[in-house]
Amino acid sequence: MRKTYLYSLLILLSTSFIVLMQQACKHKSTSQTTSKTQEFEFKEKLSDYAFFKGPLKDLVPVEGVTPYDLSTPLFTDYSIKDRFIVLPEGQSLQYTANGPLDFPDSSILIKNFAYTNEAHQKIMIETRLLVKDPKDSKWKVMNYLWNKEQTDAVRHITGAKVPITLLDEHGEEHVTTYMVPNTNDCKRCHINNGTLTPIGPKARNLNYTRKGTSVNQLTQWTSTGILVGLPDLTQVAQLPVWTDAAHYSLEKRARAYLDINCAHCHTKGGDAFNTGLFLDYEETNPNHLGIKKAPVSAGGGAGGLDFDIVPGDPAQSILLHRMNSVEPGTAMPELARTIIHKEGVALISEWIQRLPEGK
Amino acid sequence: MRHPIFFKLFFALLTIAIMSACTGKKDQQDTYSTVLSFKPGDEAKIEEAFLSIKDSTSILLQAGKYEFDNLSIVQVSHILIHGEGHDKTILNFSSQSQGGEGIRVTDVKGFTIDGMTIRDSKGDLLKISNSSDVKVTNLHALWSQADSTSGGYAIYPVLCKNVLVENCYTEGSSDAGIYVGQTDGAIVRNCKAAKNVAGCEIENTSNAEVYDNEFYNNTAGFLIFDLPDLSKRGGKVKVYNNNIYDNNFRNFAKSGSFGTYWGVGNASPGSGIIILAASDIEIYNNKITGNNTAAITIASGFATDDKAAEKINANYSPISKNIKIHSNKLEMGADFPKPAYEHRIGQVLVATQDQLNRLDPNRKNKRIPLIVYDGFNSNILTKGTDLNPDSICIDQPEENLFVNADFQHIATPENWKPNMNIVPFQCK
Repeated sequence: MRKTYLYSLLILLSTSFIVLMQQACKHKSTSQTTSKTQEFEFKEKLSDYAFFKGPLKDLVPVEGVTPYDLSTPLFTDYSIKDRFIVLPEGQSLQYTANGPLDFPDSSILIKNFAYTNEAHQKIMIETRLLVKDPKDSKWKVMNYLWNKEQTDAVRHITGAKVPITLLDEHGEEHVTTYMVPNTNDCKRCHINNGTLTPIGPKARNLNYTRKGTSVNQLTQWTSTGILVGLPDLTQVAQLPVWTDAAHYSLEKRARAYLDINCAHCHTKGGDAFNTGLFLDYEETNPNHLGIKKAPVSAGGGAGGLDFDIVPGDPAQSILLHRMNSVEPGTAMPELARTIIHKEGVALISEWIQRLPEGK
Repeated sequence: MRHPIFFKLFFALLTIAIMSACTGKKDQQDTYSTVLSFKPGDEAKIEEAFLSIKDSTSILLQAGKYEFDNLSIVQVSHILIHGEGHDKTILNFSSQSQGGEGIRVTDVKGFTIDGMTIRDSKGDLLKISNSSDVKVTNLHALWSQADSTSGGYAIYPVLCKNVLVENCYTEGSSDAGIYVGQTDGAIVRNCKAAKNVAGCEIENTSNAEVYDNEFYNNTAGFLIFDLPDLSKRGGKVKVYNNNIYDNNFRNFAKSGSFGTYWGVGNASPGSGIIILAASDIEIYNNKITGNNTAAITIASGFATDDKAAEKINANYSPISKNIKIHSNKLEMGADFPKPAYEHRIGQVLVATQDQLNRLDPNRKNKRIPLIVYDGFNSNILTKGTDLNPDSICIDQPEENLFVNADFQHIATPENWKPNMNIVPFQCK
């Protein structure tokens, strides 16, 4: 009798011990996730941030919100992009020769996407924010979807398909379903080696004179104090303007276009690291650039072709084939493009055509 | 010490208690801070849950049919996505409208997907990249049509660390059913693959074990590849206790949905196992039967790429080496499968059989030997003369076992001398 009592006591003790230990573990794991530093919280509506004055859709920045442009922009279905940098008061960007400029904590990058409709009106679709969270100095993404009334944009994480009819730069009409990315789609292009990072604002991409201004963008920023550490401009790398044939060679314009449109993924540590196809402007290894390089995991996307780039033969080049498609599984970039960028295809086609065949 | 047994028992139970609490692996894996459950019709909520997923979350998809465009999970740790079984929870991705895959998992530490069927995406079905401690279990991944409209890979972990693929089934992939790429540490076991171009492929992956699987009715059953200019080198792969049979399916990787140089478009219908540019491989105790072009093919990068030598670096060597093949059951049927006659490499192997029989009438028109070696060895690079410079070792009892196919000289028939002398390649 006594033995049975002891054994049941023992079992009772051990089970309660298990429960206790488990709770201890749980407690341990939850206490790790709470932290004291103030975490950045994305606001519900774009207007809540007070980045702009007047009607929101005019995107007239308040003081401290700086518009900027890139010498060669990413193609996103002929959309019109407005970009802004918001720095915490009294702080500046630090120049870096490679990669994105060095942003202070709490910096915000704003990128607004709109299109021109058949009535030649600018219609807002979405606004993307990148915020450098002061809690851990890591970049966070959020998306805002514009309402039908065009009065505000609302926080939206799941992406959206927006049927639109748009006019391109030549006034040609395109009917498509614009793809607003979800927040994981954003991360896909913005993550390198596990770290989320801005893509556009690198010194080399900003190093030019914006349309409608007379001073180099970086010089301008230095004079207004938002950029420090800029060396003499002759020392600063420059990504060509892909449309400027008067100043830049075909080779340079093509490589600039590929960098901006492909190299956020097609770079070491990027989303397409596994492919071995690296299209950064600085890449020099012909095999990594795709010259006579066989694909690795393109599957049907390769369209039955052998090499990424066949010098002298654009029609046999997988790279061009995939730029020239809108089929999921074939189309490149995989995201945010539902229309073929004719002008981009023409540039890359001409570049491949003129590549020396011995190369 | 009135109750020595009591104390022993007490300590035993105490030990179990401690282990099951903090250090116990099982416990840790089965406990999630957030536990979510959804049913069919909740697709929009599920997409949102995937996008806003936090560390340590399990998501149950209850029995029923779900329709998705695509799903993704990025940069979290300790995640479980599970269904109620492959015949109960079914996710259909036929409406995929952009992106490269149905389900995409990136940068996740500790990811498990279990107990469901995923099907009919435009691109790959399940791609897991840059992740560690990945388990894909009891998952069926398939395309309704086994043709070039199917996506490339059904189950596709790439650039991962420690991957387990277990009790899975794949069908209809236009490239490989199970494809482990550029990964260190992988186990594929108790899986089945049929009607894919390649049943299973281990590519630029190191420290892999592939065992207790059935790969059948594919173009090629099982492949071990290294390709040039990738993030890492493969090798150290053990392949055992598999049943690899009747892989004679036509190669439907389009007119080479891969061209003609690399990749699985090159796999001839009728191939059991293909080793390409890989090293430190052991293949044993497998049943490799009814693959009617070649039971085992050992090839080098030179067989498909005349520029292979230029691509040699720390991550790539085009020549297969340290290959140990022993104790398998090897058998082949009476003739090549029909689709082999229409395939570029298939035709080369048919020609090899013809050439052997032409050179040696005493063979009496026997089949091509069970193991085909392309004959490109490191003598090409070193100008050496060793008959087996790359440590190929074969210990098999079968007749008509081995041919060095001498592909180097295939272009000049008068010099082309496929050679059946196995002596230099017998295990010492």
